[in-house]
Amino acid sequence: MSMLRKQVAEYVIKEKEKHYRLAFSYVKNVDDALDIVQESIYKAFSSIDSLKEPSHIKTWFYRIIVNTALDFLRKRKRLIIVDEVILTAYDSGTVDNYQDFDLQNALEDLPEKYRSVIILRYFEDFKIEEVAEILDRNVNTVKTQLYKALEMLRININDVD
Amino acid sequence: MNRKKIEQLKKNYLETPIPGELDFVVKKTLKESGLNMSKHHNRFMGLKVAAASLVASLALLVIGVNTSLVFAQTMRKVPLVSSIVEVLTFREYTIDEGTFNANLKVPAISGLENKDLENSLNEEYLKENEKLYAQFQAEMEDMKEKGGGHLGVDSGFIVKADNDRILSIGRYVVNTVGSSSTTFKYDTIDKKKEVLLTLPSLFKGDSYVDIISENIKSQMLEQNQADENKIYWVQGIGEEGFVELFEKISSEQNFYINPDNKLVISFDKYEVAPGYMGVVDFVIPTEVIADVLVGNEYIK
Repeated sequence: MSMLRKQVAEYVIKEKEKHYRLAFSYVKNVDDALDIVQESIYKAFSSIDSLKEPSHIKTWFYRIIVNTALDFLRKRKRLIIVDEVILTAYDSGTVDNYQDFDLQNALEDLPEKYRSVIILRYFEDFKIEEVAEILDRNVNTVKTQLYKALEMLRININDVD
Repeated sequence: MNRKKIEQLKKNYLETPIPGELDFVVKKTLKESGLNMSKHHNRFMGLKVAAASLVASLALLVIGVNTSLVFAQTMRKVPLVSSIVEVLTFREYTIDEGTFNANLKVPAISGLENKDLENSLNEEYLKENEKLYAQFQAEMEDMKEKGGGHLGVDSGFIVKADNDRILSIGRYVVNTVGSSSTTFKYDTIDKKKEVLLTLPSLFKGDSYVDIISENIKSQMLEQNQADENKIYWVQGIGEEGFVELFEKISSEQNFYINPDNKLVISFDKYEVAPGYMGVVDFVIPTEVIADVLVGNEYIK
């Protein structure tokens, strides 16, 4: 087994939960998210030559997940089903805060291109340049989309940037 | 204030429930991609798919909720009197404690003169379900200690065929929460001769393995050509290179006989196709195997 393949294998085991969460954020159901994780691993190994620098594993693999998820959504055009599990997950278990729930809804309602940048930049803590690489957009586009997304969420840019 | 909003959203995101099956899926996928990562897992990976899925289906689905559920230690053991078909009755085990649900139906065959066969099948059915039940209990206790969660398992059976000659029973295990990892196992009994039919017993010699495998491969390709979303891990669908492709059935492959007296070959989820394809069955046209069948008593 080549060193690179081994590194990728170790990486997908170590970061599986992150990958699953990202996949889930697109498809919104457990079975499909698992299938996307699975599919992404297959794709990763079949296109391992496209990984030039081992230090780029993370952005390279995230890009595969995002593309796999988008392909999936395009192909299936399925209705998004918010099942009981997800709804319960939004319940923080403490005091209900309806404002937060609205905020969560606002995020879910964002068009995919805006939601992706929010997730990658703020939830997965990628740099703007890395987000651009993952989404195959240029840096300025990502910045614009990020500001637009925050605006739609009614979050003041200056406070978070 | 705004920073808080992002933090809250991030917290929600990070609390996405992780299904217990994830670890299994990732490791299985790596294995299929030709990578066997950890020696420690070899033992687990070496198990049959069905057994491994079973463990995975019972794995935890911990979610970040804390509800004041009272977990009473009540297990109902209900012997049901009514029988479904003349040779089949069942017992049922249920657990219904809010977010913890188990519904295990144990098939039992009765009315066979051949008590050895009857008892060995029934013992196997019972043992399997007792094991499922014990695993469920253990997982449930573990989750209760951690403050709660969701867990569900269903087992049961489907009569695939029941005529004068043949009884085909499919037993399944389904995880109702997390991912639906269904596994099937079939038993087909000759009611007249009172024997359990095995796949090899239906055929002369072992050429059936290749004949059936070739037929299945062409069915896979046909289905894929008709609908590109139907993917099988078989040569010709462009999945080469990173998965183990389907070559041939096992000589003891899971099978049943359907009400039309046709042989049906069955594969568990992930056995020959990506997870979204689920459990896949192939009806083998009788003319394809006519030459190698021992007779036409069962398959017509």
